[in-house]
Amino acid sequence: MFYRETGQFKSSYAADMAIFPIRQDRIALWVVLAAAFVAVPLLDFFQVWPFGGEYILRAILIPFLILSLAAIGLNILTGYCGQLSLGSGAFMAIGAYSTYKFCTGVHIPLELFTISIPPLPVLPSILLGALMSAFVGILFGIPSLRIKGLYLAVATLAAQFFFDWVFIRVKWFTNYTSSGSVAAPDLVFFGFTVTTPIHRYLLCLVFVSIFALLAKNLVRGNIGRQWMATRDMDIAAELMGIRPLYAKLSAFALSSFVMGVAGALWAFVYLGAWEPLAFNIDRSFQILFMVIIGGLGSILGSFLGAAFILVLPILLDQVPHALGVPVSVETVSLLVFVVTGALICWLLIVEPRGFARLWSTGKEKLRLWPYPY
Amino acid sequence: MRAPDGPPVTAGDVLLSIDNVSLSFGGVKAVSGVSFDIRKGEIRAIIGPNGAGKTSMLNIINGFYHPQEGVITYKGEARAKMRPHDAADGGIARTFQNVALFRGMTALDNIMAGRTLKMRRNMFWQMLRVGPALAEEVEHRHRVEEIIDFLKIQEIRRTPVSRLPYGLQKRVELGRALAMEPELLLLDEPMAGMNIEEKEDMSRFILDVNDHYGTTIALIEHDMGVVMDLSDRVVVLDHGIKIADGTPNEVKSNQAVIDAYLGVAH
Repeated sequence: MFYRETGQFKSSYAADMAIFPIRQDRIALWVVLAAAFVAVPLLDFFQVWPFGGEYILRAILIPFLILSLAAIGLNILTGYCGQLSLGSGAFMAIGAYSTYKFCTGVHIPLELFTISIPPLPVLPSILLGALMSAFVGILFGIPSLRIKGLYLAVATLAAQFFFDWVFIRVKWFTNYTSSGSVAAPDLVFFGFTVTTPIHRYLLCLVFVSIFALLAKNLVRGNIGRQWMATRDMDIAAELMGIRPLYAKLSAFALSSFVMGVAGALWAFVYLGAWEPLAFNIDRSFQILFMVIIGGLGSILGSFLGAAFILVLPILLDQVPHALGVPVSVETVSLLVFVVTGALICWLLIVEPRGFARLWSTGKEKLRLWPYPY
Repeated sequence: MRAPDGPPVTAGDVLLSIDNVSLSFGGVKAVSGVSFDIRKGEIRAIIGPNGAGKTSMLNIINGFYHPQEGVITYKGEARAKMRPHDAADGGIARTFQNVALFRGMTALDNIMAGRTLKMRRNMFWQMLRVGPALAEEVEHRHRVEEIIDFLKIQEIRRTPVSRLPYGLQKRVELGRALAMEPELLLLDEPMAGMNIEEKEDMSRFILDVNDHYGTTIALIEHDMGVVMDLSDRVVVLDHGIKIADGTPNEVKSNQAVIDAYLGVAH
């Protein structure tokens, strides 16, 4: 078959430790990147099917990219470091609102002095906002040094509810708008204003590509091994010199940073104008499902999970229309829930380690094909 | 194998000395008033019936338990209360009675994880994985490959350890401990549950580690044949108390030891 590594010899450990040591994988990656960076804009430019309207970009590709980024963030924490978190929505919200505040200027009059930051450009705002998210992530990660598993999940749930409340009640974050919803300022990057869907898509793509690469580098480096060691056997990890404090809090910080960026993109690029409801507990669960279904401890799994959770309901919604089956809109929306839920159950029974494991099992089979082993 | 009656082995400097150490959990005395020492370069066995406090002793040595009484002197320094990673910093590595590998990782990654203390590049460099960060990763990969060759586990380096048979898991665990380049290696029942060939292999590895790397080894083992053949000196614990200490032959003929193992008529 075409997927063989026969004849591909590595002459250095550096080559052996590349992200994709097998040539076919590298080719596949370049094809995907070329499709994402070149083919999609071209198709959009010429308005070729299915890019006739803006539907695919607006409703599928942009949210897919941003939620993949959020899933990568959660995967660092839950998949690699083994710390269950239900606070993804909160960290995304912190990223979004902090970015908003940095964009519109921060003014905090205190008794002794006044903190005043003039409105910043979008890119530094996003990074600073994500930094805020990382900081809060560290704070809420401190309980993880004492508690594990479901108990820690409850502690992160506290973060979720607390920040839901904060962004509804503390008017300062929304610049005292009467409705509580805020609108993102113009997206100006290096003098270029991002407006059209294709530009927004490319913006998200750049962010996601960069963060996916950095995350992949981290998880296969020393810190990644420390995270996984802490996840798999924390006592043995500690006896080998891994400091649980450093391993866990660095995972919380990086994970929250990435989720903060995702939150800022979600608010600024996808929604444009948003309310605190955009980052409620449903969002946290959605991202957790993506990570579980895609594959805990896999960067690729984050993308697969995001695609599944996001695209499946849309497909299910479209199928009866396409087949011309006369069902009412309400029935369809109910059916989507039922079928999605059933599929998730089925998938987790068949392959509890998610799509990423299915993918790697498939590749392993291909390498041996046509022999069973 | 070393002849049981061979000359008294290298009585080097004392690497670790345990002085009158007691540890209790509530009312249960796990270790009471035990003193012994471990000399540089020797293989020191700790034996005793079940519940004698052997594993507790190892846990005390690598800082996982904090004894209520007694002094532990490691490399000439009396140790204050220390955390396990401080012990690891100081060059103490160990393996576990029940294999404690990182089950989600490959054999290679498990052993690489043992190098974690030797890796200096910060997270920022690791994120970029270029230049010095990549060079560091490659350098440590070299060292790990040496260990993989030494333990003859080349063909399983990419296998997730959860898929490996028990004997190989034990070997990978030894590799992970060796990757730390320890001065003192603690082995908690390295041969538990192995068949005779596997035991012979493991014995050979232990002797080789001792010879080749000059690592001081303290091991707990229930197979008396192995203990008597491998170790230079043996300390015997029973119910948390030291009942004998000496060369294998001295210990073997000690009446208290025989009583502890075979029981005494009351």
